[in-house]
Amino acid sequence: MAENGQENSKWGMVVDIDRCTGCNGCVVACQSENNIPINLEEHFNQRRAIQWIRVERYWEGEYPDVKARFIPIMCQHCGNAPCEPVCPVYATYHNNEGLNVQVYNRCIGTRFCANGCPYHVRFFNFWEPQWPDSLKNQLNPDVTVRSRGVMEKCSFCIQRIRRSTRESERDGVELEDGDRGLNPACVNSCPTSALTFGDFNNEDSQVSQMKSDAMSGEHGRGYRLMDNLGTDTNVIYLKKVDDSVGSVHGH
Amino acid sequence: MALTRRQFLTLMGGSAGAAVFFQACGVPEKELLIDSPVEMPEDLVSGTDNWYATVCRQCDTSEGIVVRVMEGRAKKVEGNVDYPVNLGKHGPRCEAGLQSLYHPDRISAPLVRTGPRGSGEYREISWEDAITRLTSQLNELSDSGESDRAVLVTNPVGGHLALVIQSFTESTGMRRFVHEPLETSVLRKAISEVFGQESIPDFDIDNSDYLLSFGADFLSTWISPTRYSRGYGEFRQGHQRQRGRLVHVDSRFSVTAANADEWVRVKPGTEGILALSIIQVISSEGDVDNAVVDSLTGGDISWLNSYAPENVSAETGVTAETIRRISMEFSHSPHPLAIGGGSASAHSNGLAALKAVYSLNHIAGNIGAKGGILLNPDSPLKGISAAAPGNSFYEFQRLTEDMDAGRVKMLLVRGADPYYGLPEVAAFKSRSANIPLIVSFSGMMDDTTSMADLILPENNYLEDWGTDVPLAGVGYQTIGFQQPVVRPFFENRGVNLGTRNFADVLLTAAQVMGKDIGLSGDTYKEIIVNGAKQLYDLGGGSVIASSFEAFWNGILQRGGWWDTKVKGPVSVTPARLDGVPAPVISGNGEFFLQPFASASLLDGRSASLPWMQAMPDPISTATWQTWVEINHRVAEERGIKEGDVIEISSARGTITALAMPNPATPPDTVSVPFGQGHRDAGRYASGRGSNVLAILDAVHDEGTGSLAWSANKVSIRATGDWVRVPKFENTVSEFPRDEHNQIIELTTEIEDNH
Repeated sequence: MAENGQENSKWGMVVDIDRCTGCNGCVVACQSENNIPINLEEHFNQRRAIQWIRVERYWEGEYPDVKARFIPIMCQHCGNAPCEPVCPVYATYHNNEGLNVQVYNRCIGTRFCANGCPYHVRFFNFWEPQWPDSLKNQLNPDVTVRSRGVMEKCSFCIQRIRRSTRESERDGVELEDGDRGLNPACVNSCPTSALTFGDFNNEDSQVSQMKSDAMSGEHGRGYRLMDNLGTDTNVIYLKKVDDSVGSVHGH
Repeated sequence: MALTRRQFLTLMGGSAGAAVFFQACGVPEKELLIDSPVEMPEDLVSGTDNWYATVCRQCDTSEGIVVRVMEGRAKKVEGNVDYPVNLGKHGPRCEAGLQSLYHPDRISAPLVRTGPRGSGEYREISWEDAITRLTSQLNELSDSGESDRAVLVTNPVGGHLALVIQSFTESTGMRRFVHEPLETSVLRKAISEVFGQESIPDFDIDNSDYLLSFGADFLSTWISPTRYSRGYGEFRQGHQRQRGRLVHVDSRFSVTAANADEWVRVKPGTEGILALSIIQVISSEGDVDNAVVDSLTGGDISWLNSYAPENVSAETGVTAETIRRISMEFSHSPHPLAIGGGSASAHSNGLAALKAVYSLNHIAGNIGAKGGILLNPDSPLKGISAAAPGNSFYEFQRLTEDMDAGRVKMLLVRGADPYYGLPEVAAFKSRSANIPLIVSFSGMMDDTTSMADLILPENNYLEDWGTDVPLAGVGYQTIGFQQPVVRPFFENRGVNLGTRNFADVLLTAAQVMGKDIGLSGDTYKEIIVNGAKQLYDLGGGSVIASSFEAFWNGILQRGGWWDTKVKGPVSVTPARLDGVPAPVISGNGEFFLQPFASASLLDGRSASLPWMQAMPDPISTATWQTWVEINHRVAEERGIKEGDVIEISSARGTITALAMPNPATPPDTVSVPFGQGHRDAGRYASGRGSNVLAILDAVHDEGTGSLAWSANKVSIRATGDWVRVPKFENTVSEFPRDEHNQIIELTTEIEDNH
């Protein structure tokens, strides 16, 4: 899908924080698509609830001058991922399409990868996922159902990337940028279109154009999360616009 | 019976050793059995998916969805990119519809009660038996001239189902009530009086540049949050024009308030007074058509002047300076838009307040204009329209008086849960104790259904046919079509068990009773197909076909029919406004109680779905429980910390909730979400949390008799108990702050638009 036949895709996302309303639609869509175990009350109480994408809410000020801002955070698929070098069995590695890949059946559950992830996007199955029999009918056959002892995280819905690529090759139809069969579940579900997904190696893709607008010059709103750590993320965030503050740049 | 060792091993699934091993891990052995179908229908190929268009019924603003079906099972819900209401977007509640389809606690056959009411003791009966019981009771009432002593309570229903229900109730003589816990009748009446519309007009948020909203949590729960959020995304960062500014007036810090550029906190019930003040300022100082002002004031502006900012500042809690500034901003914006609802409508002055709010659009002159109010045309099919709003709380109170006096002999309930949704002051549940027969059509247990004598479970909407005229109007003619995306889940129980389509049950009952209810079709599907034929005969719209068969396929593929060329009126004469009286507030407690619709559970209808219980509330990130938002300084003063079990007492009752101090709650207010406190709603919701609806007092909107659910004051008391609040965010820092804006970076710069 990249520009010329030689180069592979480099999948990435652009997240516009000015559009995000904190609705959590992306969270539920991801759980539906990826067979995420149901987070029961005790899972939240143990702070071991699994959400491959989550919405963080930060407070600023207090009543009556109070703000709350929302940011969706998922695996950043870092080019320089702290989680990859530490796995003793190479269950997580960077593939040739820019994705940080988790191999469930290789993982032995040391949890060293989650230890190093600065974005806290890795989740461990502390319990065997269980569903009542009837709810199992909803499980997505394209996605492995993980068992206890295995690490999991956002995969940019790699099953959708694979299926769309395969089907487009089979049908001889080019896969277009923004194809809804290719987009991760969260991107399709976002009502405000805060999430955009695509191929950074295709300069005509929407994400490439958004990234070059956002990261160039003074007027661009783009930044990377915790960029000072040098993780080289594949997710670009666009700053929240707030005209009541002076222009604030993180670092 | 003594088992041989061989028999024992066979019963254990062939491996007694393995079973013991798995038991030790706490995993039931059958968790690891994977069933796959052996014989597949010809057109189902393993591994390939089909997407079917239908209409979501998780809330009242049915969005067009497409459902991914693999091997006959529904796997994923996504928005239908073609459907006018949501244009490809969808909300979290739409996703959770799959869990309602495959819920482990669905009722799979008609039931008749065997133990006392509320005991949960039922036995299964056949559909034939169930319909016989239903019709014989109706016939008995009819024979004794008491047909009107049967009462059918449903949710708001539009489209062809409304036609079937109306025809049925008219031919049988039964009374009909429509119940929605958080009434939309105030909004609908205001819209009707201000714009002459029966459904809600389209708010062109996309193209507005100044959106002034009053009380309506449109980014989270109000009417169609999906539609309005889609517009909001473009409003913020859509190219072509300047970034829009959102000013949200609300008595609590809602999700919409959090996303607003400016949150104007008003004292509960004064939203309309503020709106009139803004009208006053613009009328006297801004650019406005004098004819409009004359129309609104009835030619005499002196009464309006009593709403000048200096006069209302103390009452609303908003400074005169802020009122004047907002008025000028609204007046000078090229594309201003005003909307209102939610808590602003839930007061004794609700109707007057919303009329004032929506009249701001007349002041702005934005009717029919880009970025303004786009009115809807009439429905293309006569008699098929958007759902009418619910009967008022006042009318339900009169109904309970009838019940008490023995004038209700049969109560039938569908799609509604009045035992849960009406405050205890209405005494609906207690007064229904002497109704001889209570029938429920629900497919799941709920508070009302668990007290029913006879249950005729209906299909899940994903298994059903239907039509829908959108409640959240799109500004042009639209009819959505709902089709089954999977076969009924309980089909394998045979034709006399399982679930059935509700309309078909009514049609069958009518046939059994020998009544001709005068509809074009013997089954619901036939009626809908005949409706589609009428659309075909119109000859226009989104589906062009040379035969009706192709037209029908086209409708099902696209999820409906619409005609963008048939739009609504572009102007309407402003109706005369009345003043907005001060709100009536019940109770002597210290705090205003501001309940709110939960982003996940709404008014309680989604509580049975685990994904919705587990979805963090955007403001608090709390899940699975009922909490009470309280200002953190107030909490500190009283020694209240997060998790303390707080007793909240209104003039009518008491509930408990877990304290969640936060920096945004006004110090004189506490906020509790609707949605929990179900007596019986399946395993994920039964006996969980509290139902704040229960303790609300009977304050009515003077215009419609609706329940003023925002009009209570309460006192609070820490009980001394403590429960950890299940929430997603960590408690390392109590109020996570991003003090140097390193996680969410800010800018005042707006990207150059290309």
